[in-house]
Amino acid sequence: MQGVHGGSVSLWGFYARNSGEVLGLVGQHLSLVASSTAIAIVVGVPGGIVLTRRPAWRGPVLGLANVFQTIPSLALFGFLIPLPFIGGIGATTAIVALVVYALLPIVRNTYTGIAGVDPAVREAGRGMGMTDWQLLTQVELPLALGVILAGVRVATVVSVGTATIAAAIGAGGLGVYIFRGVAVVDDTLILAGALPAALMALAADALFGLAERQFAWRAE
Amino acid sequence: MGGGGRWRAVQGGACALAMVASLAAGCRSRDRIVVGSKNFTESDLLGEIVAQQIERRTGLAVSRRFHLGGTFVCHQAITAGQIDLYVEYTGTAYTAVLKHAPVADRDSVYHTVARDYAQRFGLAWVKPFGFNNTFAITVRRRDATRYGLRRISDLARVAPRWRAGFGYEFLERADGFRGLAAVYGLRFASPPTAMDLGLTYRALAEGKVDVIAGNSTDGQIQALDLLVLEDDRHYFPPYEAAPVIRLTTVTRHPKVAAALAQLAGRISDAEMRRLNALADVEHRDIATVARDWLRSNLP
Repeated sequence: MQGVHGGSVSLWGFYARNSGEVLGLVGQHLSLVASSTAIAIVVGVPGGIVLTRRPAWRGPVLGLANVFQTIPSLALFGFLIPLPFIGGIGATTAIVALVVYALLPIVRNTYTGIAGVDPAVREAGRGMGMTDWQLLTQVELPLALGVILAGVRVATVVSVGTATIAAAIGAGGLGVYIFRGVAVVDDTLILAGALPAALMALAADALFGLAERQFAWRAE
Repeated sequence: MGGGGRWRAVQGGACALAMVASLAAGCRSRDRIVVGSKNFTESDLLGEIVAQQIERRTGLAVSRRFHLGGTFVCHQAITAGQIDLYVEYTGTAYTAVLKHAPVADRDSVYHTVARDYAQRFGLAWVKPFGFNNTFAITVRRRDATRYGLRRISDLARVAPRWRAGFGYEFLERADGFRGLAAVYGLRFASPPTAMDLGLTYRALAEGKVDVIAGNSTDGQIQALDLLVLEDDRHYFPPYEAAPVIRLTTVTRHPKVAAALAQLAGRISDAEMRRLNALADVEHRDIATVARDWLRSNLP
């Protein structure tokens, strides 16, 4: 490692001197994660619900979400650049990629959560004359909420890490420091990006953990 | 040019560090030469040529640890003793690793890196292959024709209306964009977009940006009908590729150094471009390209 430290400064010195830029990148990172996770929830939760109503779609849809998960992000960016609306260079492309990666845990957990509701409870609801919509919103979703939240939790924590790749397509975020650091052989710079991302992931995990416990109590 | 290359899989430092850690975990025997390469085609190709040359001329077994995450990972791996050699570029070692201010003179750059690497890292520089893979300021050929662009100094005229997309390495390095902009008086419509180097070619071809900084020996330049502007003010330092090898390995296996010395001065700019295109554009197997090249050039 000797020599590699040559021109670099301490991490804290770096943060002190670049506080404005650091905060800007943290903000960009948060907004990438928040918007992509929000879109993934809006698409993924209804998607998972549909799968419980159309069991035949389960295999193909989850299979597709699985395949999305395996596409390397640089390859995905390469495919997205020429596309209108969802492609190009910048935040849009990065968000599309992050949504693609966040879908699987959300869709799968929504499906698993609802499918795991005790059939006796569902029957009781039907016996009380509930419509399918009422059954979904008043019985199934409340009971499945813990499992769905667990999916959102995984998706968010993974997104915080994955969002560093946004820097590869001009979308900024903490990945900027990591890419710069790797490019100029400077481990302080790499840590400057990796450390806040790791803290952010831990914080997101803890927050969702709290939320999950809240809803678990309520369900009981 | 140093850590550049298409489809760089550099996905961040965590990943890079994990790779070094996983290399460290694997043990190796003393009589096996471990050759590394950086994560782009040219580095893989040169790594394979070097590996096969050692196998042919010394009979030693060679392990390949190719496509490591760039200058950073290769440098860490070789100084930690996890690889015995890899191919580095003089200008990259000079500016990115040793942090010297860029200079244009080939010989002085080579001699400085050879001296400093030996003193500071216990690493030896073999004589260069012969070509210079410099940064290539690249535009679409049809734009070059329409606006009469031939040299980088011509770019200053159109730059205020143009968008640039550069890799992180080019944006950050002392011999990168800032110096270039100052020397040529370049001011673009907006600050250059920072993105992955491999994606810049695609962004240029798709019209999302108008100028990029590639590598002069890249195969895509011809394949995508692009034009490299001439560095008429001689801004870029030399980037001559040469094997860098641990001094302890040289002492233990002097035959390896002799085998590598035979490769000196054997690959011209055009020849390197041709080999890269065989791998990148025609998708030939790298081991086959290397074997054919060795057979016809060092029978």
